[in-house]
Amino acid sequence: MSRFMKMEREDTVATALEKTSKGEAAEIHDTNNNKIYSIIAKEDIPYGNKIALVDMKKGSNVIKYGGNTGECTQDIKTGYLVHVHNVKSYSVNIPNSIIEEIKRQMNIRGEEKNDI
Amino acid sequence: MIFKGYRREDGKVGIRNKILVIAVDECCEGIVRAIAKENEDAVVLTNWYTCMLGGNEETFNQMIAVAQNPNVAGVIVVAMGCGSIQPEQIGNEISGKPVRLMTCEKVGGTRKSIAAGIEMLKEIESHISGLKREDCNISELVIGIKCGGSDTSSGIASNPSVGKAADKLVDLGSTCIGGELFELIGCEDILKSRAVSEHVAEKIVTLINNEKTRWGVPGADVETMSVGNCVGGLTTIEEKSLGALHKMGTKPIQDVLQINKYGVERPGEHGFYLSEATMLCGGAGVNYASYGAHIILWTTGAAGFNNSIVPVIRVSGNQSIINEDIDIDATGIMNGSEGIDEVSDRIVEKVVSVAGGTLTQVEGVGDATMTLYQKDQRVESMLNLNCIK
Repeated sequence: MSRFMKMEREDTVATALEKTSKGEAAEIHDTNNNKIYSIIAKEDIPYGNKIALVDMKKGSNVIKYGGNTGECTQDIKTGYLVHVHNVKSYSVNIPNSIIEEIKRQMNIRGEEKNDI
Repeated sequence: MIFKGYRREDGKVGIRNKILVIAVDECCEGIVRAIAKENEDAVVLTNWYTCMLGGNEETFNQMIAVAQNPNVAGVIVVAMGCGSIQPEQIGNEISGKPVRLMTCEKVGGTRKSIAAGIEMLKEIESHISGLKREDCNISELVIGIKCGGSDTSSGIASNPSVGKAADKLVDLGSTCIGGELFELIGCEDILKSRAVSEHVAEKIVTLINNEKTRWGVPGADVETMSVGNCVGGLTTIEEKSLGALHKMGTKPIQDVLQINKYGVERPGEHGFYLSEATMLCGGAGVNYASYGAHIILWTTGAAGFNNSIVPVIRVSGNQSIINEDIDIDATGIMNGSEGIDEVSDRIVEKVVSVAGGTLTQVEGVGDATMTLYQKDQRVESMLNLNCIK
C-alpha cells in the first residue's frame, strides 16, 4: 500500500509519494490528503513518478495540475508508469540519447511494459 | 513589517555589505582573486567572454548592474589594460558607494597591482566599518524567486509554499521577481490573464517564444531538462512548467524585466514581476543581482545553489535531501502534517530575519562562482530574435 497525490480533479495521472512496487495498492489522495480511491500498480513506480489513473490512447493528452503536460507516444493502461518512454512534450523534446540514459538509470524497460 | 538594513546614499536599502571586485577581462582575474582573498566579504565577478566589448554588451551591462546592487557596499574594477573594456566605463556608472579603478598595465606589474588593489580594499573596508543598520520597511525588499533540481516535491510542496509567500510579500509591499521563461512554456494563457496591460501580456508571450526558439533549435539536441529532473519524476517541459508556475504566486504581473545588450530593466512599482533571469542556476544568481534583488527564494528538489551577493533561502519538500543546508523544510506538505499556508508564513519570517542580518544556512560557506551568462548575439541574430522595445 502506497500514497499517491492527484493534484486536480481532471488529472489522468497521480504522483507517487512513496516508492511503489508492482502489484502494490496505490492509494490515491487529493491535495487535502484525503484518500479518494485505490488502484493496483502494474509495474514499479519510483518515488515522485506518475501512475496512469485511466487507460490512455496513443496521441491523447496526459493531464496533471489540471493542464495538458504531454502527449502519449503509445497506449498506456491504468496502473502503469507514465514517463519519458511513453510521453513526449508538445514543444521541446528531450534528446533521444538523454531519454536512453534516463531509462537506464531508472531501469525502465518500456518495450515489454503493456504485455501483462 | 520592519527589519534592520543599511541605508545607502541613493536611498536604497542593502542587507549585506559586500565588496565587489570585478575582473573586466579574464587575464586580470588572478590579480583580482589575490586582492579579494584579503577580505571574506569580497566577491569576485569575472568576465569570461574575452576582453572585447562588441557582442558582449549583455555581460558588460550586468557587471555594472551587479555593482549597483544595494547589497554591494563598495566596488573595485580591474582591467589588464590591453582589452576593449576600461575600468572607467564601468566605474562611471556607479554612484552612492566607494568605487576604485585599476588598470594593471598602468600600475606596472602583477605584484604591484595586487598590492595596490589590497590598499583599495582597505579603504573600502574602512568606509564599511562606519556603516550602521537602521530600521527599514519590508516594502523596500526585492526578492528573486528561482527553482532548481526540480523534482515532484517541487510542484507539490516547495513551489506552492514559495508562491503563497510571494503573494504575502507583495501584500506587505515588497517586490518579487520570477524568471525562467523557458520553464513557463505551456503557461502562457494563465500568465497573460495576470498581466497588468495588453503590452505586458504580449511581452510575456514574445519572450517565452524567444526562449522556445533559442532552446529548441532542430538538430542541436540541447538538454533543457536534466537527467536528474526526469529521474525525479518530471516527464516534459510542460509538466515542469505547470509545477514551476506555482512558485510565481497569483498577483498581477507588472512587467517582464529584460536583460540584453541594451541594458537591464529594473522593477518600478512594487508588486510581482517576471523577468529574463535564466533557468540556469549560476547565471540566474547574477541576473537577480543585476535586477537589484536582496534575497533569492530557491525551491529545490535535489540540488544546491547559492550566490555571494544575494543570499539564497533554500526551501525543499524532498525528505531525502533535507540536511543542514536547507533553510525551510516543507516536507510536512508531502506527508500531510503541515499546510502550504503555514510553510509560507515560515518563509516570510525567514525573509525578514535574513534581511536583518541572519545568515542563511549556507551563506559564506562554499559560495558558487558568480556566473555571467549572456545570450550569444550571433545566435540571436541568426534566429532573428528581438527584444521588446
